[in-house]
Amino acid sequence: MTRILVVDNHGQFTHLERRALRDLGVETELVDNDTPPEAIDADGLVLSGGPDIAQIGNCPAYLELDVPVLGICLGMQLMAAELGGAVGSGEYGGYADVDVRILDPEDPLVGSLAPETRVWASHGDEVREVPPGFTRTATSSVCDIEAISDVDRDLYGVQWHPEVAHTERGEEVFENFRAICEK
Amino acid sequence: MVDPEPFIEEAIEEIEAEVGDANAVIALSGGVDSSVSATLAYRAIGDQLTPVYVDTGLMRKGETEEIRETFSFMDSLRIVDAQDRFLDALSGVTDPEEKRHVIGEEFIRVLEREARETGADYLVQGTIYPDRIESEGGIKSHHNVGGLPEVVDFEGIVEPVRDLYKDEVRELARELELESVISERMPFPGPGLAVRVVGEVTREKVEVAREACHVVEEELESYEPWQAFAAVVGKGTGVKGDNRVHGWIVAVRSVDSRDGMTAQAQELDWETLQRIQSRITSQLDNVSRVVYDVTHKPPATIEYE
Repeated sequence: MTRILVVDNHGQFTHLERRALRDLGVETELVDNDTPPEAIDADGLVLSGGPDIAQIGNCPAYLELDVPVLGICLGMQLMAAELGGAVGSGEYGGYADVDVRILDPEDPLVGSLAPETRVWASHGDEVREVPPGFTRTATSSVCDIEAISDVDRDLYGVQWHPEVAHTERGEEVFENFRAICEK
Repeated sequence: MVDPEPFIEEAIEEIEAEVGDANAVIALSGGVDSSVSATLAYRAIGDQLTPVYVDTGLMRKGETEEIRETFSFMDSLRIVDAQDRFLDALSGVTDPEEKRHVIGEEFIRVLEREARETGADYLVQGTIYPDRIESEGGIKSHHNVGGLPEVVDFEGIVEPVRDLYKDEVRELARELELESVISERMPFPGPGLAVRVVGEVTREKVEVAREACHVVEEELESYEPWQAFAAVVGKGTGVKGDNRVHGWIVAVRSVDSRDGMTAQAQELDWETLQRIQSRITSQLDNVSRVVYDVTHKPPATIEYE
């Protein structure tokens, strides 16, 4: 069975990421972000959101494990910060409902949601600069960079929360990520 | 989604194994979580379980009577009148987290006393997964988790639905054939009306919150909210019959949700809102205005404190 672990960066929705994967029928578990990278045994990793980029534990090392990674909210931001992009505070902040426009309908993670999808978000900071090797795959009126993908390294990030009930078609993002992990 | 049948079987076995021949108490609030936990425990250990309902003075209108009726099938049900004890302990306390701790502390002391009287060594609780997460994450202390005092005089605490979400607990309630007044019951916070009164809890403010909540629940029934209530949020000036009233400001909140983790403020029609306003301000002399809260979660939480 496909095994996708959820790395807990102390976000309040982290457990819903575990629930979304559990409900899809994949093997899943919550793991602390100070778990040594060599102890991680998974076909894919979800890096959760959280309150503070100073509390991301070993997440940077998990990006080198050569398994597909989906970063959610802070999980996406830390990916950008680690891999040569930039993160800063947003002008507007994104809370509750946001209409996200999909820029790349071919993207394996969010392409199937094109042209537009209604999501729920909760963030003050955002990715300000896409890291080398990544492309911006979604945008909105409150946040320029809503999603990023590096298809070659199988690293993906979304700024919104696909795991919460109010995000429309949130399960689809997890299904797409499962397909990425199984390919 | 949880598979109710095997879950119930396993939970009953687990409770049997853990409690054994000992006695246990459970605090029954009338909400779906504690009702399901009590029913599971009752099936597991029968009369060894004493369900205790504590009337903290912070309950909804008519709640105590409703509980007495709904759970009359459990002979061992105890109803404890502790209104003065809670309201006295809360006097002068304004910090939201401190309020939750005071209530948690009083609660556990009342339960310990009941446990001593019934010879119970175990405490059964209806804690669900998000309660634990919010307490551990420092967002809010749920009084059956983070609000618990450090030293608790029980041999063990049993939480049969600790890994489930509210919607899954409702599934169990239906499978257990609990009355729909329980299985579909609106969530009500552990600290009760205390968190629907911003700032210090006084008898007057609690009474306003209680009556206003009752009006809101009645008027919004057809909207089928996940949760609907009123809270006393401050004071403002009004004029009633040519007299100035420096009265309470009541906020009305009605939200849709699946699991309480995110919530959407409901879109209510003007007529309904006006009827709520009119009933609350005419019924309660000391209310000067009524407002409707349009904030989703995030950025707000569902309850005010």
